[in-house]
Order: sequence, then C-alpha cells, then structure tokens
Amino acid sequence: MFGGLRDFALSFLGRGEATLTVPSFDGALKPNQALESAETLLECDAPEDLATDGGKVYLADGASLGRLDGNGMTTIREFDRPITALASLPGGGIAVTLNGREVRVYSDAADATPSATFQGAGMHSINALAPAGDHALYATDGSATRNADEWAWDLMERGRSGRALRLDIKTGGITELAGNLRYAFGACGADGFALISESWRHRLIAVAPNGASKIVLSHLPVYPSRVSPARSGGWWLTAFIARTQLVEFVLREPAYRKRMMAEIDPEYWIVPRLSSGKSFKEPMQGAHLKTMGVVKPWAPPRSYGLVIRLDASFKPMFSLHSRVDGFNHGIVSAVESGDWLYMIAKGPRRVLRLPIEGLAKEFAA
Amino acid sequence: MSDIILSLERATKLYSGVPAIEDVDFELRRGEIHALVGENGAGKSTLTKVMAGVVTLTTGAMKIDGAASAPGTPLEARQIGVAMVFQENSLVPTMTVAQNLFLGQERFYNRLRGINIAAQQFLQSLNFDVPPTAIVSGLGAAKKQMVEIARAVLHNAKVIIFDEPTAALTPEERKYFFDLVRDLKKRGVSIIFISHALEEALILADRITVLRDGKKIVTDDATRFDRARIVQAMVGRDLSNTLYGVKRTTVRPAGERVLTIQNLKMAPMVKNNSLSVFAGQITGIFGLVGAGRTETFKIVAGVMKRDFFHGGDIILRDKAVRYRVPAPAVKAGVAYVTEDRKVEGFFETTSIARNVYLGLLAKFPGKRALLSRREQSASGADWIKRLNVRAIGNEAKVIELSGGNQQKVVIAKSLIQEPDIIIFDEPTRGVDVGAIVEIHELINRLADEGKAVVVISSYLPEILGLSDRILVSRQGKVVEEFSALDATEEKIMYAAIH
Repeated sequence: MFGGLRDFALSFLGRGEATLTVPSFDGALKPNQALESAETLLECDAPEDLATDGGKVYLADGASLGRLDGNGMTTIREFDRPITALASLPGGGIAVTLNGREVRVYSDAADATPSATFQGAGMHSINALAPAGDHALYATDGSATRNADEWAWDLMERGRSGRALRLDIKTGGITELAGNLRYAFGACGADGFALISESWRHRLIAVAPNGASKIVLSHLPVYPSRVSPARSGGWWLTAFIARTQLVEFVLREPAYRKRMMAEIDPEYWIVPRLSSGKSFKEPMQGAHLKTMGVVKPWAPPRSYGLVIRLDASFKPMFSLHSRVDGFNHGIVSAVESGDWLYMIAKGPRRVLRLPIEGLAKEFAA
Repeated sequence: MSDIILSLERATKLYSGVPAIEDVDFELRRGEIHALVGENGAGKSTLTKVMAGVVTLTTGAMKIDGAASAPGTPLEARQIGVAMVFQENSLVPTMTVAQNLFLGQERFYNRLRGINIAAQQFLQSLNFDVPPTAIVSGLGAAKKQMVEIARAVLHNAKVIIFDEPTAALTPEERKYFFDLVRDLKKRGVSIIFISHALEEALILADRITVLRDGKKIVTDDATRFDRARIVQAMVGRDLSNTLYGVKRTTVRPAGERVLTIQNLKMAPMVKNNSLSVFAGQITGIFGLVGAGRTETFKIVAGVMKRDFFHGGDIILRDKAVRYRVPAPAVKAGVAYVTEDRKVEGFFETTSIARNVYLGLLAKFPGKRALLSRREQSASGADWIKRLNVRAIGNEAKVIELSGGNQQKVVIAKSLIQEPDIIIFDEPTRGVDVGAIVEIHELINRLADEGKAVVVISSYLPEILGLSDRILVSRQGKVVEEFSALDATEEKIMYAAIH
C-alpha cells in the first residue's frame, strides 16, 4: 500500500520515477550537422545492418546480402525472408538473422549451405549479432512478443522482454546471458564481456559470461542501438532516435497509450520515428512557441540521426548528428572500415559514409 | 574664477604609521568627470574619503575653489559642496524617497505632503523617474543610485564622488547611469568616480588618474589612454597577455560527467533548463541579467528551491538529488561562491580565520560540538598563504580588506570544504585587475586538478578567456554551447539575445 501511495505522490509531484525529464545534448553530444554532410553511398529499399571484417563491408538490404564496393552494392545472395541482423566472423565467415527468428552462420559468404543454424529457444526479434571469440556469437533479442520491425509497439507497451544471448557455433547451444532487458538492440564483444544496448533504458551494459552485468554508460538522451568496435580503440554507438519529454510523458500515461494504440493509425502515434515530415497528420508538428513576442513554429523532434564515438572507457568523445531539419535520420548501424565510417540511415533508406580522419578534431567537445 | 575646483597637494594619510596615500597631488577641474583607477589597496578610497571628510590628512593640504579646507566630518564636507555616494548606499530602506532626500534637513514641524511635492519637483528637474512616495527598499539598484545622486545635488554639491557606482547595476541601468552623470556634468557639477571596469573609465571620463601603492602614477586625458596603458600603470607590469588577451588554442578534455541538470524549472526565472558539467573542465555560463544562470546553480547548491511540481531533475554523479538547504550540497561536494559577497559571502565584522573556519564547519552541520581555536587559526593562516590574501594577519576583519582580498576569503571559505564541483558566480565583480589575474589562475588550477568548475559571468572576455566550453543562457535556459576554440564574442552575444 505504501508503495502505491508513494507512486501516486511521485506521479502527482512529478518527481523520482515520474519525472518528465531528458538529459541534454551537450558536451560530447553537442549537436552538429556532420551526418548531413556525409556522402550518400547508396539508396536502398530496406537497409538494415552493416558488418565488416576490417576490409570488406557487408550490407543487409531487405532479403538481400551484398558487399559494398566503390559506388554501390554487389549482391552476394538472396534469402527468402528479410535479414534483421548481420555479423562478419573472424576467418571470413558471415552470420545473418532471418526475420528475427533464425540465425544462420556461413563459413564463407558465398557458401550455399550454412555451417550452423540456430532456431527456437524463444528467439523472436534478433536484431544484432556480433562475434564472441572464434566460435561463438553474441545476439540481442529485442522483444519476446514483437517482431523486429515492431519496436514502436514494444516501446508503447513498455516491453521488458529483451534478452542477450550467446550462440555457440560449435555445439549449437544457446545461452541466455541476460533477460528482462528493455529492448536489447545492439551487441559487441569487449574483453570477454558482451556490450549490450538497452534502448528503452537509454544505457549500455557490459554482461559477463556468467550473466553478471554492470552499467557502463547511462543517462543517454537517445535510444541507443547497434554498437561496433572502433579501430583505434573504443566503440561507435548508434542511436536511432532522440528522447523527448513528450514521449516520456506518453510513456507515463497507460490509458492514453492504450487508446492511442487501439484507435490511431500507427503512422501517427506519438512515438519516435525513423523519419518524419511526410504528412501534416504527424503529431509533434503543429505546436508553436511564443518567443520574444513572436510565434514560432516548434515541435519536439520526431526523428533524429546520431552516432556517438565512445572511448575505451565508454566515455563519449564526440558525436555525429543529423538534426531535426536534416534528412539522414534513424541511424541503426555504423561500422569502421579503412579510412571510412559507414552508416545506415534507415529513415531515408541510405547508406552513408564519412572520412574518419579529422572527425575527432572537428567535433570533439 | 579658477578652473580647478578641488585640489590636494602632497596629500599623505598614515594608518598606524603605514601610508595609505603618500605625497599625492590631485586636481579636479570644474565640470569634469575624473576617473580614479587602481588596484584594490592602491589608495583610491582613502583619497576620496579625505575629500568627503570621512578621514583627515596626516600631512598635505586640500583646497576647494582655491581656499584651504580640511573637512573633519562628512557634514562639513557637504557644507563646502563635496558629497560622496558610497558603494553601499546610505539610504534608509524603510523610508520613502522624499523622506530620504530631506533627511537631516527636518524642521520642527514637517508636512509630509509638502516634502513629497518638493521632492517630486526636484526629481523632475533632474529628469529622474523615481516616485517620491516609493519606499526605498522596493527600488532597484539604479533608482537607489538616482536617489543618492539627487540627495547630493539637493545639498548643492559642487563635487560628487562615486565609489564603484556601477557594480550593482544591470547593463541597462548602467547606460542610464552614464546619461545621469553626463547630465550632471552639463550642470557644472564635477564628478570623481572610482571604477574597476576600465572600459567605463575610458568611455565616461574626461581625465583619468591611476594610483598604485598609495602613490599617484599618472593623470592624463582619457583619450590618451587605452586599456593596456591603464592596466600597466595600475599594476606596474603588462597584463594584457594574461588578462583576457590570449585566444585559446587548446581546451581541457571533458572528464566524467559529474552534474546533469534536466528540465529544471523555477518560475519565472528558470524555464526547462538542461545542461551537464564535466570534471577537469571550466564550464562558462554566459547570459544577460535575468537569464536564470544564478538561480539554476543556486538550486543545485540548495540555496534556492526548484518548482514544487515537476521541477525537473538534478543528477549528481548518477544520483538524483534535491537539496532544500545548502548543507547537504556542501557535504556532497558542491560549493557555490556567491556573486554578492557582501550580503551572502562573509561575516564582515569577524576575522578572516573565523570566516574561513565557518566554511569548514558548514560541511559538518551539527556534528561538531566543540570548536578548535587552534584549527581555526591554522586553517586561516594556511588559506591566507595559499590564496595570497593581503592582510595584516589572519585575525584581520574581513571588512578591512579590499574587494579582491574579500573575494579570496569567500573563495577560501568554499575551497576549505574540498568540493568537487565549484560554482563561481561573477568571481571577479568589483575586483581589481591584479586580483583578477590571481583568481583566474586559481580557477584554472582547480580545473587542472580535475575539479568540475562552473564560472558564471556577464563579462564576455572573462568567459572567453577562462572557459573550456561555453554555455549561453537566455530566458531561463541554455540555448547554445560553444567550444572555447570556436567561440567569439559575436557568436556568444548573438546566441544570448536572439
């Protein structure tokens, strides 16, 4: 009873768990327009994930697996279902997830038959894969109830069924490293740990093989997604959308969410999107703000683009942005290969690239 | 009639055998604005106090209109036409403007309506927009200044001395004050004003006299001075490269994020303000008066309270905090060095050592039943040495110190608490250039040691010279962030007003 009273009081006063606040984009997260100035390498139908062995860069585009070359993509193979996650393995192999439910490992990208297949074990929306040593993979399963492309439903339902998994390629075993995650979306090996993005909790956690976890980065003003290693140490963390007070408010109103989900076309829900500005019916476009006696159009961002460079101790060094007035939103994957950083902007369905040299100098806080 | 209205010849004033001013020759021309500049302790206040009858000369002579004069009291000085407007104004706050104007000139029977009418007419003649029936405590700093000036003019002052007249004024009020002074000059009144803001001396004054260590260094037309020449005369060395002069080429990298303010609200000053502060860096906060900077950080330090409902979050090292009084903030390692040191910074009639020791005690509220005189004396002496406070000893009263040294005591009072986050609010307001350099060096040293330092300042060169990152505040929230490497005065000011 006291817990209930406490929750009511906090909700009434807007304190504690019930605060409607989001961290600011400042310091290393200071906004810029770096992603808008990135070169558009490719416009695709449904780009989803990137992977690299340090030289070749692989792209999952719908059901197609391809390799990026100078100016486009060479298709390696077609699958019968869309690819939701991709990883390049040491020794030239590749791992793909089909429709979030089946993971296939190929010793060579061009092989006809997979060397290992993982199915079942409750896998529902596998959205990221990463090598975990020579014969294993880390995987994140975003939700046990929603498909990989239904992340907005999971957010509105305040889902907490995400998992971090370890897939043993030799034995075919699947081990759950962590459960009850609030949308796990991104995995990467880090000195024996699995680095996992927990999107709805706005944080990165490091999970040990025995399941013990610790928070390595928290209080992010964004929903983090896939993470990949940087060649000079540290990581590239993508964030597919920025947090807003309006969405935080909606997340604290269960009755409103229920009715919105039942009655409104999902396209027009008050949820973050990977792209925006397509229709006047979109929420968060009609507000205005009176400043210095002048009414100015204003709305919290519905979509945003962001890649954060983390150092070896998980401290943000700098970040690359596409702001509200930009186009390259919904960044879901970033990998470093050669002198370039390749990224997927899922909003406009583009593959982007930026020269790495000079980024730190130009955008460091 | 001579062009010189007031002069001092070989003026010397000794305090316990120590000269505060020594062999100073000074001339004030009729209808001129004369700026008196110098470091704290240079003898400016003593010189003007001699003119105003607050103290008398040990040797030397003073002449008014060519006639020898030695006013022994402020009343005598006022009778010969010299009035002084002190930094802390001398008005009675509970009385009306009219009552203050005629204070000391009461008759046996006073008709309030008559006083009000006379005051109204007089204020209008000076073009001062101050209602005579207003209670003085309800007036802003600029209007109080107007009442002080009006009182001086009412007493037929031929010479009005202003001691730091603009220290408490907003930029708008300052501009208004300049107009008032120029108007007084047109009326033939001679003005002496003391200011640490050298630009004011350069803009407003006809002539400038620079004092150093109780001696006159130079008097010349203001047009022949520039900032560098004044500073060099004041301190005897060229500070242009150390004081605001150097464009930053490197900044300290951000350390751990120690403080996050999220959507903080305190109506009507702080509106949804969000920012972060990092260890090992100086975060400069710039904004015009009323931008909510001071209030935001006073909330962090527990001096003020945020809105009761949906007031936002303050996260100190990953832990949400809500301080209702300063003590727990001090204990958590947050130190706030106030902008108004005279009111909030120290107990002026107690010793330096006592003030510094009180800072230490503030960290242990209710935990120390017994005080240690030895610890008090030792900590006082230690901090006097560490911050180079120029005083006779650690038992010297703070009121006896110059502005710069008082500020050092306020800083010592906070630093003795060994804070991790130090918030300096206008750290060099009313402080002389020599002490400014020392305070800036101290602030830089703290950041180099890994402390998270916040500097709130309305003075752009200070923000640009000190900060590693600059946050610009406007209308209650941070609206822009610059790295010190790419910030310019124009960019910052544009963000602050647009």
